[in-house]
Amino acid sequence: MKNRTKLPNIYLAVIMIIMYLPLVFVVVFSFNESKLTAAWTGFSLKWYQTLWHNEGLREALWNSIVLGVLSCGVSAVIGTIGAIGMARVNYKSKGIVEYISTLPIMIPEIILGMVFLAFFSLLNLPFGMTTLVIAHTTFCIPYIFMMVKARLVGIDKSIAEAARDLGATQVRTFFDITLPLIMPAVMSGCLLAFAMSFDDVVISIFVNGPKLNTLPIKIYTQLKTGVTPEINALCTVILITVIFILFITSALGNRGRRTDKGN
Amino acid sequence: MKRRTKLLGMLSVVLAAALISGCGEKKEDDSKELVLFTWEGMFPQEVLDGFEEETGVKVVYSNFDTDETMLEKLSQAKGGDYDVVIADDYIIEQAVGQDLVQKLDKAEIPNYKNINPLYQGQFYDPKDEYTVPYGAGIPLIVYDPEQVDFEIKGYADLWNEALKDKVALTANYRVINGITLLTMGKSMNEEDTAVIGEAGEKLLELAPNVRMIQDDNTQNALLNGEAAVAFLYTSQVTQALSENPDLKVVYPQEGLGFGIMSAFIPKDAPNAAAAHQFLNYILEPEKAAECFNYIGYYSTNKEADPLVNPNLVVPSDVTKGEIVQNVSAEADEAYNKNWTEFKAACD
Amino acid sequence: MTKKKHSKVFLTVAPLYLFTLIFVLGPLLYMIGLSFATNNDSWGVTWKFTLENYKKIFEPVYLQSFAQSFQLAFFSTLLIMLIGYPFGYFMAKLSAKWKKRMMLLIMVPFWTSSLIRMYGWIIILQAKGVFNKLLMALGVIDEPLKILYSYPAVLIGMVYALVPFMMLAVYSSVEKMDWSLVEAARDLGASPMYAFLTVTLKLTLPGLLSGVILTFVPSMGLFFIADILGGNKIVLVGSLIQDQLTRGSNWPFAAALAVLLMVMTSLMMYLYRSITHVKDLEGIF
Repeated sequence: MKNRTKLPNIYLAVIMIIMYLPLVFVVVFSFNESKLTAAWTGFSLKWYQTLWHNEGLREALWNSIVLGVLSCGVSAVIGTIGAIGMARVNYKSKGIVEYISTLPIMIPEIILGMVFLAFFSLLNLPFGMTTLVIAHTTFCIPYIFMMVKARLVGIDKSIAEAARDLGATQVRTFFDITLPLIMPAVMSGCLLAFAMSFDDVVISIFVNGPKLNTLPIKIYTQLKTGVTPEINALCTVILITVIFILFITSALGNRGRRTDKGN
Repeated sequence: MKRRTKLLGMLSVVLAAALISGCGEKKEDDSKELVLFTWEGMFPQEVLDGFEEETGVKVVYSNFDTDETMLEKLSQAKGGDYDVVIADDYIIEQAVGQDLVQKLDKAEIPNYKNINPLYQGQFYDPKDEYTVPYGAGIPLIVYDPEQVDFEIKGYADLWNEALKDKVALTANYRVINGITLLTMGKSMNEEDTAVIGEAGEKLLELAPNVRMIQDDNTQNALLNGEAAVAFLYTSQVTQALSENPDLKVVYPQEGLGFGIMSAFIPKDAPNAAAAHQFLNYILEPEKAAECFNYIGYYSTNKEADPLVNPNLVVPSDVTKGEIVQNVSAEADEAYNKNWTEFKAACD
Repeated sequence: MTKKKHSKVFLTVAPLYLFTLIFVLGPLLYMIGLSFATNNDSWGVTWKFTLENYKKIFEPVYLQSFAQSFQLAFFSTLLIMLIGYPFGYFMAKLSAKWKKRMMLLIMVPFWTSSLIRMYGWIIILQAKGVFNKLLMALGVIDEPLKILYSYPAVLIGMVYALVPFMMLAVYSSVEKMDWSLVEAARDLGASPMYAFLTVTLKLTLPGLLSGVILTFVPSMGLFFIADILGGNKIVLVGSLIQDQLTRGSNWPFAAALAVLLMVMTSLMMYLYRSITHVKDLEGIF
């Protein structure tokens, strides 16, 4: 059933343009002279200059990246393996554990943050990167878990079984058969989870250590004096970096795939 | 196969790098660091750098979003972890009450004398033992005379029917309840729940006029034409005026409500010596002026007054103002309920 | 299954079990406990059992905000479904190269601050903003529309923030769908619409439903959107909880509100499970 009409592609393009519209203005206003986004008063690079001198902001950016990668990595392992395992076991507790694990994205963040703060002090965990990673992992797992689970439903289990019948070990089967099949879901889950971690402020604010700020905390706690276009500038820099990295990896990936095709 | 190993390799390198950088920072020497705990954007970078140059102590700038978050984190840390905290008046009273604050050693703060006495002896620190004020805020009414065809003199004018869907308000529930009480000739800190209930009724009548309620960037609504009148915090008033000098500022005739931000040193601050040095540093007139100009709050430093933006020197009639204080739990709950009902009625 | 195999399978779920039971269930139990505790007058709580907090929810002012949240969540989820489902569906039909690109395109905006993205919407929607200028230039309107700080603005923000979840959930379930079933239906004479409704929609229901779950409940908690784009005029359960935790400093009541939200979530999940359970069997044949 091939769809020859162009309509679907136009639809995709239009929605994408709308999704990027606010970002365009964020970028444009990062070059605005005025501190306020109410009106355009003239071109200026001064927000990039102050950004460059703001050591705290750069440090926070790095912390956020580290935190995102760590919690995303941990959740990817726990979530993916967990989802595959869950599809095979039939414990009575399965449903309830699955349900509990998805709750962190259902409950308003602020109360979770509050409860984590109390709970971690109860366990005597020192506040810092460890507590941040644990807290972020709780809400990163569901994204990956749910994506993988949705993908696993209906995947033909006989392929994996055939591989095992042919003598492949479970680990081999996992890496050679199951993982490639669910990889798109793992990837989209990870991208989502990283984005959520990279943007979280409410939970982080409660579980961070005294000397550890993340980027969203820096942005959000400016509210007392007003968010400055410095943040617009930072978002622009992040956007350009992300796009640049994606461009490079996709260029490399294309070359890699061509040589890899043989296996 | 090849791709997988590459991917795994990359991932493990990133993880390792992250772990190393995550653990590395705990090794630093405490006596060379000062952990400053307040909102982001409260100090110009130059002032923090200047302190580091002068004393060799590095300022670690840590942030919270609300006063309540600060108090919760400070009480979990049992008054440790942080060296200097800057927060709003009412929460400091609670922090002192919970024994989380240490008394200042004024011998270590020679510039203490620069503080404007107007901001001393307040309810949260009646004997001036614990705090150094860092800026005062007075919410004021600002309006665009082109869009409002009568002269606004006080809070009561916000209820005027001509302002339908034209008013922007800050989102502090006590302040908004407070100005309603002021229009009724009562105190902003009314404790009688029956009176608070009446204020709630009156507040509901304001709802049709409200265009938006917001704590941050409220001045934008005025500048971009969404609202004709705004009730704004000091820093927002300053920003609005610098952007559009034609706007009119009203010191409401019913009286002013003001708030003071203050710095204090937690009970078990890891580096109390540096904390005293820091407080002394920001009390130097030039440094203080730099800070007040940056944050846009009224100067609380007498010696800095000649150096700051003239808009930020307190008008002489400010002494008639009243500070929003902590009230009993019943009264507070009544205020909260008024607020929730008011917001819901605004749409 | 042999015993040995069984224990190996257990190893795959063990990390999830352990992590969930310690770091999710633990804090949640604490929260449930808190919802039955007594609030202190000044600060903190006393661990004395009370039902006061739950009784308080039934005061009209709080019930009203539950109703408002529900209404908003309903409309935003509906819009998200209408926009996100076709998107995920069409996306799954793209070539492999474009699928990948599209996925990244969806994700990139979300790597910048959500707060800042909402400010981007303010610039677009404000009275002197781009949208109004465009409409006025086209002669559609004479007076600028007051979109900002209104219900539609909040809806736009909600849909914008949450639609990617729907797109990705639908995409991943359409992507691995067995198209031969649709073809079979078409061969048997079904119209494209009928084939879509009876086969495709049914096969992608798990994706659609997980998309709904990922958007419905979170939209009750995303109060910062109602705050920034709606001018704080819609009181969502999320902002109620926020108010109680901060200004009101009444944690037990906030916990009770969160527990109620959790119960409602559970009901939804239960429905989801009972609907998709049938699907599980169908998928395997």
